[in-house]
Amino acid sequence: MKFFRSPQATPYLLLLPAIIVILAVVLVPLLVSFWTSFTSYNLVRPDSLYNFVGLRNYRRLIGNDDFWWAFGRTVVFITIALNLEMLLGLGLALLVNRITWGQRTLRTIMMFPMMFSPILVGFQFKYLFNDSVGLVNNALFALNLIDKPIPWLVNGWLANFSIIVAEMWMSTSIFAILLMAGLLAMPKEPIEAAKVDGCNAIQVFRHITLPFLMPFIWIAMTIRSLDVARAYDMVKIMTNGGPAGRTELIWTLMTRTGYQNAQMGMANAMGYISILLSIAFTIMFYRNLTKARVFMGGAQ
Amino acid sequence: MKLLKATLVACCAVGGLAASAQADDFDYGSFPDYTLKVKLIGGTQYEKLYTRIPEWEEMTGAKVEIVSSKNHFDLDREIKQDIAAGDITWCVGSNHTSFAPQYGDLYIDLSEHIPQSELDKYVPGTLESAKVDGRLVQLPRVTDVSNLYYRKSLYADPANQQAWKEKYGTDLAPPKTYDEFRDQVIFFADPPNLYGTAFAGKDEGMSGRFMEILRANGGDMFDDEFRPTFNSPEGVAALQWFIDVYDAGAVPAGTVNYTWDDIGQAMAAGQLALDLDWPGFAAFFADPSSSKIADDLGYAVAPAGTSGHGGGWSGSHSFSVTQDCDNKDAAVSFAVFMTNDESELMEAMAGNLPTRTATYDEVIAWFNENGKENLAEMFQVWQESLADARTPPLIPEWIQVSNVLWPELQAAIVGEKTPQDALDDAAEQATMIMEDAGYY
Repeated sequence: MKFFRSPQATPYLLLLPAIIVILAVVLVPLLVSFWTSFTSYNLVRPDSLYNFVGLRNYRRLIGNDDFWWAFGRTVVFITIALNLEMLLGLGLALLVNRITWGQRTLRTIMMFPMMFSPILVGFQFKYLFNDSVGLVNNALFALNLIDKPIPWLVNGWLANFSIIVAEMWMSTSIFAILLMAGLLAMPKEPIEAAKVDGCNAIQVFRHITLPFLMPFIWIAMTIRSLDVARAYDMVKIMTNGGPAGRTELIWTLMTRTGYQNAQMGMANAMGYISILLSIAFTIMFYRNLTKARVFMGGAQ
Repeated sequence: MKLLKATLVACCAVGGLAASAQADDFDYGSFPDYTLKVKLIGGTQYEKLYTRIPEWEEMTGAKVEIVSSKNHFDLDREIKQDIAAGDITWCVGSNHTSFAPQYGDLYIDLSEHIPQSELDKYVPGTLESAKVDGRLVQLPRVTDVSNLYYRKSLYADPANQQAWKEKYGTDLAPPKTYDEFRDQVIFFADPPNLYGTAFAGKDEGMSGRFMEILRANGGDMFDDEFRPTFNSPEGVAALQWFIDVYDAGAVPAGTVNYTWDDIGQAMAAGQLALDLDWPGFAAFFADPSSSKIADDLGYAVAPAGTSGHGGGWSGSHSFSVTQDCDNKDAAVSFAVFMTNDESELMEAMAGNLPTRTATYDEVIAWFNENGKENLAEMFQVWQESLADARTPPLIPEWIQVSNVLWPELQAAIVGEKTPQDALDDAAEQATMIMEDAGYY
């Protein structure tokens, strides 16, 4: 009690409401969900919340090929989507940065895809890639490039490709905007000096622009790696993880298990295994960000 | 199940008699200033009935607040979350024969709140299948049993007739068996202009259609101890049916992602030769403003399997009343009103199979008097199919089992597994679900 009356306690007391809120909305649900991952908790049988089954859910998942395929597919999905978005976003940012007239208008147009709900984007691309009435197949028929429909959302490779295209359409501009910010903040002197020294455009980009942009790239990658889970909406609408689990990602599998099958204990066990994935990506990006900051402001 | 079949046949045959036996009128009560919270299934084919809600409001003085309106799969997820959160603040929910067993004691036993004289107005077999563990947890609204829709012009075409005769040695007519059905959809297919058919390739639609052919072949989902038996030879033959039509390109490749709306839209657009589908689509297909095949639409009883019978996958949409409802009388009144004679006639006029016995004769007469003879013909076909009607297993685990089954069916259809391997894998997962639920 003495401590609470002392001046040293003031910051803690002032922060207490925030701490309580954080505990209520973050820590308590985390603890409860962690507990349920050791139970057979079924949504429609609330009493099963107390049915402790030890590591059974985790053991089943470790031996479950479908789960590990979904896990691996998620890693590949995030890796491909993030890298392609970064490359396209970088290209877009460099192009727009070179424009001297109408740049603001272009920047606004670039942000249009971000304004759409992922669910709407999912419906739009589901229609575009539909094998019988879709715009893509109809266009290919009209151009006499195909003589039978391409099963965009059925074939394993094409279905994943279609989802990545939808994801890239919606999110590439986020990279472009963040990298544009980096380009606008970049000092002009080193570039001018390099040009005076006879460097060509590729050398300037390789040794000056890119190192300066790397922190921005890693920040964007970190944010997007966590944010890419928004793709759940699109996958749900476009393929719902199918057919035959060909586009199943961890979050579609977890949702099906937890909410459709009501096996919330099992779904939470999936969540706690897959959390390792998010942690691994975040650690990797932060390490790279720290390294990249070394080069900030100039060439090696 | 035999009881269900017998009662369905009996009730249809003696519908008129049963109707005339009812004399008592239900008392809908008075609930001034009360607001009844309801969660209803949404969608074009369901919402026309809700135009009757103001009538009930005027009659009882209560107000209806629709707190949720979603497709049934989303509604099911929402209700499960409500149960988990212990947050049942609504009184009436849309329900379905397939979904009802999952919800435990969420809903009241309506037979304790509705006079027997009123319950006698419902089709006995339908009412029986609305029970879970002997409790009437739902009041059936429309019954579903699948039948064939087909394009009459394809069968009337002399070139088709000759080609079919040369190939199969029989006259071209709507299929009576699943083998004929398979041969005909492959025969008619001319993609991308015309596909033989399409099937619901995911969710319970896929599991249910498989179950239907499995049962038509003489197999079933479980044995008497609820051990999975769908990986039997009958099950493999049923799954092979889907593989055959898929491999032949007689269905759109995307059919494995289709659900009912996708198929209905394709049929109405004239892209399918045959469609094994629900009664609710009849009015949509027969309406020239929504369908290109309105003048070309034929109806036939669903095909039989190797057992000589149809599969008759059936179930009913319904209304249920929650245990936590603060005014159960008002909720029951609403559920009865939404399924009473007038409501059922409204549903039946749209092509849906009603759940009240008297409506059958009434709506057929109405169709004939209003120049909709083809819908009258359709209704008679639907009634014939009810003879083979069977619900999915009425156990809480059905949807879970369905959810492990359909991805395996897909895997076999798209060629990733053999039918036997896919069904064995699904049976293994289903066994685990049943073990966890304490069946054995």
